[in-house]
Amino acid sequence: MTALVIAETVILAVLCVLVAGLLRGYAAVLRRLHQLDGGATAAPPPFRTVASIPEPAAGQRIEGRDEWAESHDIDGTSLRGEIVSVRTVGVEHDTIVAFLSSTCEGCAGFWHELGEPGSWTTPQGSRLLVVTKGPEEESPSVLSQLCPDGVDLVMSSQAWADFDVPGSPYVVVADGRTGRVKGEGSGLSFSQVSGLIRQSVEDSRHPALAHKPDADRRRERDVDRILLSAGIGPQDPSLYATAEQDERR
Amino acid sequence: MKPIAENRLAGHGLAVALPPRWEGRLYRRTVGEAGTALRAGATHPTQPTATGWPGELSHPVLHLANFALPASRGDYGTGAVERMGPDNLFLALLEFGPDCLGTALYSPRGVPRVRPGQFNPNGMQRRVAGQAGFQHFFTEGNRPFCLYVVIGSHRQAVRLAEQANEVLERIEVEHAG
Repeated sequence: MTALVIAETVILAVLCVLVAGLLRGYAAVLRRLHQLDGGATAAPPPFRTVASIPEPAAGQRIEGRDEWAESHDIDGTSLRGEIVSVRTVGVEHDTIVAFLSSTCEGCAGFWHELGEPGSWTTPQGSRLLVVTKGPEEESPSVLSQLCPDGVDLVMSSQAWADFDVPGSPYVVVADGRTGRVKGEGSGLSFSQVSGLIRQSVEDSRHPALAHKPDADRRRERDVDRILLSAGIGPQDPSLYATAEQDERR
Repeated sequence: MKPIAENRLAGHGLAVALPPRWEGRLYRRTVGEAGTALRAGATHPTQPTATGWPGELSHPVLHLANFALPASRGDYGTGAVERMGPDNLFLALLEFGPDCLGTALYSPRGVPRVRPGQFNPNGMQRRVAGQAGFQHFFTEGNRPFCLYVVIGSHRQAVRLAEQANEVLERIEVEHAG
């Protein structure tokens, strides 16, 4: 009889452990589903670099603009009155979007160089698009005098809002394949800005920075593409271990 | 990757929902001062201006393409088709004047669909190696039109004709008065 009681007690204890394990697993699944459902408000983890790379000073970081901001297609009108819809997203080429104005003093160098196309170049295969605000905020007649024939100019206040343009002149490089902004900033002229873009492109291809085997780079590109297509960009919380997961290690 | 939107281009009684990767431009050529003078009663304006023939009445022109359309283009795509690759398509839809209504050339009704066999290298305004073109006149919404389609590769006519038809399916024409 005593042996029977002891055996039942042992079985009961084992069952209790099993049930507790199942409940814990169930709770973890529910927590994860809640996060996936948008219920989680977890902020991205603080900026950090890997051990061998020194962290940049606070003043060197770009504040207020998310890395890899979304690019946008541009709808507007041309100076000839054309109704225009230009693709910058989901295309093979990059688009260099120059936000200019007929009144800003800093734009003078850009307008001047548009009339001298041989004096500067854009990266091979990219497209240059000049975007001003719409006719309600710009002077089409002045723009007609400033903008040489053959330059692709679209008047679109909506594009200024979409790209969150802080002022003119402002240049955005839209990556056609990912639909993201891969560079943006201001300058004095196209030759200066295109020089910076070209330098950035060449730096990214330089052997000192591109020492990885081709197969590794291809694999990384594939992973990036798959993550981006799933809506997971840089600093997405799901890419980092939670405090709980860190503790388990 | 950001989801690719279907942009809508509309104006001058024409509209089209652009599929992913397609862009478009819709315009009506401005008539030059000489044209205005002719309508006011001036005589012998025989030379074209930079913006058209004197006295010309302009009508809407719609350009659609699955590549980057340049700013300067002719009505039939000169300046654009030279930039096309083998996977590219260019469509031009040009409206003509009401005097064309009821003529035999424009008697087919409705926006047409294209067949691969209709594309011909000699159907181009100016021959470009590998490319082929197709032109068709028709009436839709009591408005006479010419459709001109260029494919980047004659060898890919079957696949490209399918893409062209997907876009043609989306073109809407408002009925004229």
